[in-house]
Amino acid sequence: MRVAFVGKGGAGKSAIAGVVARLLARRGEDVLAVDSDPLPGLSVSLGLGVVEAVIPAAAVEEKAEGEPGPRFRLRRGLTASGALDRYALPAPDGVRFLQFGKTRASGVPLMRSQWAFRQILDGLPPEHPTVIGDLPGGTRQPFFGWAGYADTVVVVVPPTSAGILSARRLAKLASTEDATAAPSRIVAVASQVRDGSDLERVRQRTGLDVVGSVPWDGHVLAAEREGRSVLDVALESPAVAALVALTDRLAAHRPTAALAHRQGGAS
Amino acid sequence: MKLAVVGKGGVGKTTMAAVLARTLARDGATVVALDCDTNPNLGISLGIGDTETERLIGLRQSLDDGDQEHAPSWESLVDVFGSDAPDGVRLAVVSAIEKPEPGCPCCGLSPEQLLRTVAFDEQTVIADFEAGTGTLTRLAEGAVDVVVLVVVPTAKSVEVARRAAELVAEKRLGRLVVLANQVRDDADRELVTTAFPDVDVVCVPHDERIAEADRYGLAPLDLAPDADGVRAIAALAGTLTAPA
Repeated sequence: MRVAFVGKGGAGKSAIAGVVARLLARRGEDVLAVDSDPLPGLSVSLGLGVVEAVIPAAAVEEKAEGEPGPRFRLRRGLTASGALDRYALPAPDGVRFLQFGKTRASGVPLMRSQWAFRQILDGLPPEHPTVIGDLPGGTRQPFFGWAGYADTVVVVVPPTSAGILSARRLAKLASTEDATAAPSRIVAVASQVRDGSDLERVRQRTGLDVVGSVPWDGHVLAAEREGRSVLDVALESPAVAALVALTDRLAAHRPTAALAHRQGGAS
Repeated sequence: MKLAVVGKGGVGKTTMAAVLARTLARDGATVVALDCDTNPNLGISLGIGDTETERLIGLRQSLDDGDQEHAPSWESLVDVFGSDAPDGVRLAVVSAIEKPEPGCPCCGLSPEQLLRTVAFDEQTVIADFEAGTGTLTRLAEGAVDVVVLVVVPTAKSVEVARRAAELVAEKRLGRLVVLANQVRDDADRELVTTAFPDVDVVCVPHDERIAEADRYGLAPLDLAPDADGVRAIAALAGTLTAPA
């Protein structure tokens, strides 16, 4: 399973992605959580706090003049899995966490680290590990193929006009972008839901299959204020219960399971 | 006067920018509100509605498809890609497109370059930027007079704002105002003020009616003109036009 979470800024992408990653790991999956946002986000929601780790520029080398392929590739001898062993950080529940780095005020450009990040994700073997990705808010990054690893794109939608319109724009982008890189499935999760009318508005106005609904929950707010995971702050909260249900739903839909089922049926 | 509104995603940049723009216009300024975000929603918070907001975005995007004529000048950019919002605010969507034509007044400049290059004369310009600190790395000294940094009392937002404030100081981008949004209690207030000990922090109390305006795609100024949060932003508008 490879899932990318997208949506408007503040929709709750990191908070949801962080919990889903840890819940999958608690079920015994090997989970890689990846953050392609240059601002602090997923590491905080995983319970790691703000992480300054950067994939070193030396992880990639520039291709020779006239050589085909991308401008930078992982340096000779370094496989995607090997790079993960080196650069991914341990997070709670056995999740591994990878980010290319965070923007500093007067920091070095992160271009090579970004290339390394992309090359690692592109080079992972097809089924293993499970990848849970957190993309920056807004509609810009999916343009550049940042969610290329994902078989499922989950649009996180708060029940506001801006949240819903952003979701529609993202869904349109995801379906009209490079067709070969298009994810197999685009679904929505309603976030910060206060009542049935919120959920219904998200359902109707996005036109997307809403696979989860996370209620507005003061526990999430408290966790965000402290910079912790809601799993560590309030395991019994309504939001966590909803995220357990969402994790079940996402896991049940994994393409590999569907494929195995199809193959099983054919024999 | 030129103001840039920046901050992490979802902190309320657009909502704040819209209330500021309309308040300044009510106080007599000629206000141009620039939506610089590639995911532009400023029209909603200004009160022109979802449909008109989407129409403006569609216009901007059809530049990429070749279905829309380019504007020959800055003034016509605001005409072509703009719309009249309440209180006399003129809104224009100037966000970057995918296939800009070099040198074209309407798409060849990034919003950050536009702010530095164009003479706005007596107009008050409020630029609502994309989330994150990228904008601040691209803005040049002199491009704006005031940076309004919006922050909510969460660990992530404060951390982003800290980085943003460093950039504003380092690049001398103008006067910095920190707007603490969705402040619920003293602990919230303290989380923000301790992070910015040397900066003016303006607190906007959490207000259900502002959240409600966002839900239904309305301008907070229209739905809840007397909300404490709206009043706090309006008071800020007064101090922005006064000399620092």
